[in-house]
Amino acid sequence: MEATQVEQKYSFDVVRWFSIAAVVYLVVGTLVGVYVASELAWPWLNMDSPYLSFGRLRPLHTNAVIFAFGGCALMATAYYSVQRTCGVRLFSDALGWFTFWGWNVIIVLAVITLPLGFTSGKEYAELEWPVDILIAVVWLSFSFNFIMTVAKRKTSHIYVSNWFFMGMMVMITYLHVVNSLAIPVTLFKSYSIFSGVQDAMIQWWWGHNAVGFYLTAGFLGIMYYFVPKQAGRPVFSYRLSVLHFWALMFGYVWLGAHHLQYTALPDWTGSLGAAVSLAMIIPSWGGAINGMMTLSGAWDKLRDDYILRFLIMSLAFYAMSTFEGPVMSSKTVNALSHYTDWTVGHVHSGALGWVVMVAAGALYHLVQKLWNTEMYSAKLVNLHFWMATIGAVVYITAMWVSGIMQGLMWRDYDEFGTLTYTFAESVAAMHPYYAMRAIGGMIFWAGAVVMLYNVVMTVRKAPATSTVRAAAARA
Amino acid sequence: MNKLQEYFHTDWAAMTLHDWIGLLLTVTVFLALIYVYAYVLHPKNREKLESQRRLPDDEEPDSEDKK
Repeated sequence: MEATQVEQKYSFDVVRWFSIAAVVYLVVGTLVGVYVASELAWPWLNMDSPYLSFGRLRPLHTNAVIFAFGGCALMATAYYSVQRTCGVRLFSDALGWFTFWGWNVIIVLAVITLPLGFTSGKEYAELEWPVDILIAVVWLSFSFNFIMTVAKRKTSHIYVSNWFFMGMMVMITYLHVVNSLAIPVTLFKSYSIFSGVQDAMIQWWWGHNAVGFYLTAGFLGIMYYFVPKQAGRPVFSYRLSVLHFWALMFGYVWLGAHHLQYTALPDWTGSLGAAVSLAMIIPSWGGAINGMMTLSGAWDKLRDDYILRFLIMSLAFYAMSTFEGPVMSSKTVNALSHYTDWTVGHVHSGALGWVVMVAAGALYHLVQKLWNTEMYSAKLVNLHFWMATIGAVVYITAMWVSGIMQGLMWRDYDEFGTLTYTFAESVAAMHPYYAMRAIGGMIFWAGAVVMLYNVVMTVRKAPATSTVRAAAARA
Repeated sequence: MNKLQEYFHTDWAAMTLHDWIGLLLTVTVFLALIYVYAYVLHPKNREKLESQRRLPDDEEPDSEDKK
């Protein structure tokens, strides 16, 4: 099939916009992250401004990387892969564009409201009720468009990546709606309908499943399509991918309570959360091995395919963080790790190592396909790969050391039963690691800038695309 | 009563509606997962499932994919 025919057959324009937006948001979101990390190392960066304070910028960072970057990456890859694996055009172009502009309006609203201090106070769901309603509408439009595209497919089978995407859509709708149930008091203030320990349970039922279904299931959808495509080989075991999917769908929803060990939550809920967390190592590692073994017999491809390096390295981080998480959820380890920077390190090994790396690999692959060209500079892709890897490792290592040190300092006491260290002493001891974390983040961010430059140059140097699109429009 | 029986002792009369719903869901999910494992790992389903591995490669060949 000629490029013109492909352009005619599929709806790629909205995928192009989502792809570029994802790369831009990666740069912006990680920049805010570097700034807030620097504030912790050098507090004068607060500049005595409430708008620049850690408390207001931190949710801006998390919303920018999770929902702006992550959302655009998910929507670009989902809209692209569903069309290719189903052999049909997107159900509705108009709905696709509504998703794009709606999602971006939400991001703009987050950029305005969060620094102004409008927040529901719920972690990873800080946006106030009018924005929550908009998120539900746009998310449902995205899901409806995707599911209807699957419904009119030409293939008899629904490929596993689409199952992962649909699992994410169903669960995130359910989680977002329930977690956001609130009584509006004013246009920008509402209070959760849940209170006390129920509120905490709902918060972490949402919080952990945002990780489980949005940042894991969704990005596994990316992995199951883009790793085989980039490697030019079929996935290692389809049966393993089916088990991976169902075990993840059935298992993940139980884990939230492990965030609330040693709290007012009934003890058994924390134990159940930890037990299921440990059981989840099996499907998670099954999936990671499945992705990596796709390269079985063709490991040499990693030597010169830098995009594939991103995808395979992301699976190594996925395996590592899905082992680390369950270990941290067990009560013995949790007694040391909870409320420390170890948790921050764990989150970032998943976010930087797994989510960003797999998305970067998929986005590089997409840019080449969508603009019908090679990347402007393969060397810059390689440079980005090393900056991302080194930046993530520096960040994670700093947080491991500082987290474990914090935990040990907080629980240390002398022969009279008095705490050995004050809280302020533990904060002061963290300074070198906070500086190291900021540097790791800066390296990672610089890698994202390299990616943006490379993508922009690739698009600019791809004149053939405009010809193909013009021809498609004329046809 | 030995320790194990004590550990698994349940006061059925004290079960609320929510407890029953939770129990039912838990058992259903457990049984559903057993079914999935049995179905996926049964040798007679191997060919049927593994034949889908190449689905992304079977996209209509176009100039993009041949690069």
